Amino acid sequence: MKPPLFLFRHVTKRFGDRVLLNIDEFAVSEGVCTLISGDNGAGKTTLLKIVAGLIKPDSAKVRINDIDMSWAKARARIQRNVVYLHQDPYMLDTSVERNVAYGLRLHKEPRARIYEKVADALRWARLDHLAHRNARSLSGGEKQRVALTRARIVNPSVLALDEPTTNMDQQSRISTYQLIDELRNEGMAILVASHDQTGLTPIADHHTQLISGKLIEAELAFKRSRGTKITRLPR
Amino acid sequence: MESLTDASLKALSLLVSGDAELWAIISISFGVSLQAILYTVPAALLTAYALAHFEFPGRRTLVSLFHTLLAVPAVVVGLTLYLTLSRSGPLGDLKLLFTQTAMVLGQMALSFPILVAMGHSALQSADRRVWETAHTLGATPLRAMFTVMHEVRYGLFAAVIAAFGRIIAEVGCSMMVGGNILNYTRNITTAIALETSKGQFAQGIALGIVLLVLALVLNYSLSTLRHRLAMQA
Repeated sequence: MKPPLFLFRHVTKRFGDRVLLNIDEFAVSEGVCTLISGDNGAGKTTLLKIVAGLIKPDSAKVRINDIDMSWAKARARIQRNVVYLHQDPYMLDTSVERNVAYGLRLHKEPRARIYEKVADALRWARLDHLAHRNARSLSGGEKQRVALTRARIVNPSVLALDEPTTNMDQQSRISTYQLIDELRNEGMAILVASHDQTGLTPIADHHTQLISGKLIEAELAFKRSRGTKITRLPR
Repeated sequence: MESLTDASLKALSLLVSGDAELWAIISISFGVSLQAILYTVPAALLTAYALAHFEFPGRRTLVSLFHTLLAVPAVVVGLTLYLTLSRSGPLGDLKLLFTQTAMVLGQMALSFPILVAMGHSALQSADRRVWETAHTLGATPLRAMFTVMHEVRYGLFAAVIAAFGRIIAEVGCSMMVGGNILNYTRNITTAIALETSKGQFAQGIALGIVLLVLALVLNYSLSTLRHRLAMQA
């Protein structure tokens, strides 16, 4: 069995007197989708942001390739490999095409190559017909698909999704799950935070609950065999 | 003393006939103020970003200080700069007093707090998700800063327009450190003050018309930007 991409250990985070996170161990493994559930305010978003290198924990160790290091030392590496997606993804005030191209333009790839990749990515997400629309004018489901495409194009090892299907209609949720499932099948590690335990189980391999700052292994309410296409949601 | 009607007709004729002296004054005004804005914008926006984005001791005090500096009269800035640049002042050896450079410096000092205060408000209103999205997609801190600035660009343009409006219309500082020298440091406002004191209103009215048109253009640009800001929100 392959070692995890990242093994986070002894993660703590306090807000004032309140201990929000006190996690002994949390593994992020290639091609595995982990559902993190918990009540509102349980610390799911904070955990994902720590994993993505966006929030500094009070303490944490990270094991990468069997080498232990502090979170601060691992931060640059984490940021290169993990993309975090907000519950309501932020769309830059420009076209869908330029939103998707953002990460590639940061790496100064040739313009023609960038737009070739963007066109492919938009076709993958079935968003090509919206390429020239301002991304802010899209529906919630379409924005989430743009955000997933924008993340996929920079080829991260880990995708951290924060409540990706909140306030979406059934069809948009199915489309989003299908894209996430494809990303997982491409070998990406997927972390999904949600307070909705049943809705996200079609794409999850593991389920862990965040209770009083601790991660507790939980059962999946619905287990789907890999390779089958998601066409409906579990009741 | 000429009547208001006569003076206004003469003013229009001066403007339309392309009077060399009048247009030299106008070009000095725009030249000095545009230079001042161009030199101030980068440092002011970086300061505004630092105040909006980073937590450090004294940050709130600095924000309050910049808001207080908004109310400092131009003559006070002029006086301070005059004392600094005068022969006995700390920078007297540079011989900058009564030069366009001194006027640019004065207008930079006047526009800096406006740009910082308004820029800070615009940058502070930026959604935290912009910075996080830029970072998570691989942006360096510098590139993330430009992305945040791009997202609040209408607010930043509004700050630049407001600062430009303030410095091109100020008289006290330019008069004190420029010296109102014809074809060198005489700008629109100092020329109006001089011509009025001589009882020659035509040139003053013509220059006043130029300032009014400019104010109209700037205000129209500001209201368009505010509308876009509201749409963005």
